[in-house]
Amino acid sequence: MNTWFIAAQILGLITICFEFTSYQIKDKTRYFLITGIGSLFWMMMFVAIGLATGMSTQFSLIVAATYSTVRNLVFFRIFSKNTPESKEAGLNFLLVMIVIAIVAGTITVVNAPVQVRWLHVLGMIAALGFVVGQYLPGVHYVRVTVVIYAAIVLLTQTPINILYGDFRWNIMGILIELAKIISVAVFYIRFASEPKKPQLQFAKP
Amino acid sequence: MYRVISDGGCDFTKEEAEKLNIDIAPFYISFDGETHLKEGVDIRREDYFNRLVSDKGLFPKTAQPSPQDYIDLYTPHLQAGKDILSLTISSKLSGSFNSAVLAAGILKEDYPNRVIKIVDSLNVSIGQGLILREIIRMRDAGYNLQKNVQFAEKLLATTRIYFTLESLEYLKRGGRIGPTTAFVGGILGLCPILQLENGEVSQLDNVRGRKNALKLINEAMVDALKDETQNISLSIGHILSENDAVAFKEATEASLGIIIANPITEVGAAIGSHAGPGALAFAYCRKYETLQEAHQ
Repeated sequence: MNTWFIAAQILGLITICFEFTSYQIKDKTRYFLITGIGSLFWMMMFVAIGLATGMSTQFSLIVAATYSTVRNLVFFRIFSKNTPESKEAGLNFLLVMIVIAIVAGTITVVNAPVQVRWLHVLGMIAALGFVVGQYLPGVHYVRVTVVIYAAIVLLTQTPINILYGDFRWNIMGILIELAKIISVAVFYIRFASEPKKPQLQFAKP
Repeated sequence: MYRVISDGGCDFTKEEAEKLNIDIAPFYISFDGETHLKEGVDIRREDYFNRLVSDKGLFPKTAQPSPQDYIDLYTPHLQAGKDILSLTISSKLSGSFNSAVLAAGILKEDYPNRVIKIVDSLNVSIGQGLILREIIRMRDAGYNLQKNVQFAEKLLATTRIYFTLESLEYLKRGGRIGPTTAFVGGILGLCPILQLENGEVSQLDNVRGRKNALKLINEAMVDALKDETQNISLSIGHILSENDAVAFKEATEASLGIIIANPITEVGAAIGSHAGPGALAFAYCRKYETLQEAHQ
C-alpha cells in the first residue's frame, strides 16, 4: 500500500482525536486552539492523499481545509488577546471569511450537477452558519451549528454520492464528521450530569 | 464633626443629597466643547440622554469637577470647624480624585487643624453610590471620621458593579469599539455585560438578546448573593429604561427573597455617555456592619 496513503490515514486519526477533544472544551480560546490544530492535521491528510492519488483530485479539499485552519487559528489569536482592537480585527476577518465562503460556495453550487445542487446549497448555508456559530458567545451555538454542518458533509461522503454516480465511501471523512457529532453528544451528556452553574459568573461581595 | 462630600459620579439627585445631608461636586457636560453645563444643576439627566438619542452624531464630553470646585465646596465646612470625608469616582476613569487631592493640599495651608480625607471609590455610578450610602450610615451611626474612612476603604473591595447595554452605538461613538464590532454585534443582537474591575471598565461576557441577558444576569446574581442576602446592600440603575429596571428589581427581589431598599437610580453622564440609553446597571456591596472589625 502506498506510504502516503497510510500517512493520510494516520493524519486522519490524529484529526479525529483533536476534533473530538475540541468539542469537550467550554473555553472558546482553548477550543479554537485544539480545533485549529485538528484542522491543520486535516489539511495535511488531504495533502498526503493528494501525494498518494494525485494533487488535482484533492486541491479543492486542501483549499477548504487551509481555510478552516487559518480561520480557527486566527480566531484563537483574537480570543486570547481579547482587546477591543483584536475584536475589531477579528470581526473584519470573520466578514472576509463569510465572503470567501459565499463565493466558494456559489461556485460549487453552480458547477454541481442539477440533481445535487440542493445538497451544496445546504452545505453552503451550514458552512456559513458554522462560521457565525463559532464566533457567537456561549457554548451552544458552535455545537448546534457544527452538528448541522457535519451532518450535511456526511451526506456528501456517504452513498448519497450515488447521485454523482460515485459509489465509493470516504471512510476517513465519515469518521471525522461522526467524531464531531459524537463529541457534541458526549458533551451534552456530560453537561446534563454536571451541577447547574450559571453561564455568567459574578464575584461575591 | 465632619461633612460627607462626593463627586457626581455617585449619581445621587440633588434632592437626595440634600435629604441625606451631603454635598455633591457635579461633573460637567459639554455638547460643543465650549459651554460646560453642571450635570444635575444646569441640565437634567433625562434631557441630556434625550438629546443623545435625538442627535445621532453627538458625543458629548464630560469633565471632572475642578480643584476650585472642591475648594468652593470644602471651604464653608472647614470654616465652620468641620472635617471633610470626600468620596470620588474611580481615579482610573476620571481626574476627580486628583482634583480633590489638589484642593485638599491647597486648603491644608489655610486650615492646618482640619482633616480632609479623600477616598477613591474605585467605582462609579450606583457602585460608588452604595459605598456613599454606607459612609452616610456610618456617619449617622456615630462613627468618627477615621473609623468611617477605615471601613469605607474595606468596603471598596466588596463592591461590584455590572451593567448591560441595549445598543453598541454609544460604545462606538465613544471610540471604545470599532464600527465593524458595532455593526456585526447589532445584527447578531449581542448585549455586552460590562463590569468594573480594579477601577476600570472591562467586558465580562457577551450575551445574545436583551431578554436572555437579563435572565442570565439574574441567575448570576442569585448564585453570587444567595448566601449573603442579609449582609449586602443592592442597587439598580438605568438610563431611560425605568420599566426594565422596575421589572429587574422585582425579579431580583423575588429570586433572592429580599427587598431592595435603595431607590432605582438614573445613571449619570460619566458612565452613561458610553453606555447609552437602555443600559441597566446593578451593584452590590457588603453592609458595613458585616465587616468583622466593625464589632471590635
